[in-house]
Amino acid sequence: MSRFRRQALICLLLGGLAGCANPDLEQQLSQAAESYTKVSSDTRIQRGAPKDVVRAGESLARAQRFAEFWGGAEDALHYSYLSLSYSEIARQHGTLLDNQQRIVQLQMERQRLRDMLRDARLLSAQQPGRWGDDQIISMAATETDRGLVMTLGDVLFRADSDELGREANRTLLKLAHFLELNPQRRVRIEGYTDSRGDADRNLALSKARAEAVAEVLTDLGIASQRIEIRGYGEAFPVAENASARGRAQNRRVEILFSDAQGELGPDR
Amino acid sequence: MKKLSCLLFGLALAVLGGCASDPAPLEQMRLTEKAVQQARAVGADEHTAELMLAELKLAAARAAMNDEDFRQARLLSEQAELDARLAEARVLNAKSASQIAELNRSIERLRQQLGDLR
Repeated sequence: MSRFRRQALICLLLGGLAGCANPDLEQQLSQAAESYTKVSSDTRIQRGAPKDVVRAGESLARAQRFAEFWGGAEDALHYSYLSLSYSEIARQHGTLLDNQQRIVQLQMERQRLRDMLRDARLLSAQQPGRWGDDQIISMAATETDRGLVMTLGDVLFRADSDELGREANRTLLKLAHFLELNPQRRVRIEGYTDSRGDADRNLALSKARAEAVAEVLTDLGIASQRIEIRGYGEAFPVAENASARGRAQNRRVEILFSDAQGELGPDR
Repeated sequence: MKKLSCLLFGLALAVLGGCASDPAPLEQMRLTEKAVQQARAVGADEHTAELMLAELKLAAARAAMNDEDFRQARLLSEQAELDARLAEARVLNAKSASQIAELNRSIERLRQQLGDLR
């Protein structure tokens, strides 16, 4: 960079050098003062970043002193920039502190709901005449050349959406319970669509549906490391795409189970 | 008397050339480099405007150091340090906001599942 160009850049970066008449100085000073007043009167921000608030005040005082004498404009601009930055940093840290507290609350709430859900599930499992989750899974899943596969039909999703319907939750609850009872098993969740519409969109939809299923499982306490996600779009149809019935069969999510050692077969 | 005025003249010159008397802001440069690294470490990148500003100023400060324009180097690196810290805080805030959104989604799903069981 030539020396001249650098000087020009510096002039730009520092917001104009002393000597260039600076009508912005007054404005920046009052802006810095206003920001400082705001952050210093906010107890939440004071708590989140006490040092930065103090430094915002110190820098502002310096800027105001420099602004009072001739030739001090560059320094005044500099310190008012620092003051503004400190105020903004303090404000950000105040928000961050708020968010962190909110996160702790929400995590507790999530745990409470998970516990409630587990209790509710145990209760329903104890009801006589019902199949155990183990049996349900083995009934719903079929042994294929790729291993044990369970198919979630299209009806479990809202049409053309990755949102799960009410029926899906029951099925996935059972699946989660099965995985809890078999902690060494892993699953690969694969989404598929029919061949109508745009292929890229179908690919995205199939992936989103697989992800939606995985999210429910992780919500139910299954470690995400035990879950793999794939979207295959229109590939690997199980029926012809010519009829509505065939297309409905092709729109599906397949859940491939690992063997007892946690080994999943290769990707297709 | 002539000697004295000569001395005074020399002194005045030294004062006027004030820039030269600024010490090299080595500690400030180090702090700024650290702040930029820290912002990068938490995930600030080319999309974080404040980080780009910080790196631009840091580069200009390094060039000013090379030219021994220590005053300019200090001003630039002081600003760059705060730009980088602001970048870091913004990135952390964005992360915590998306964590809150994810928790809310997850809680919403759990509520729905509980409702479905009843």
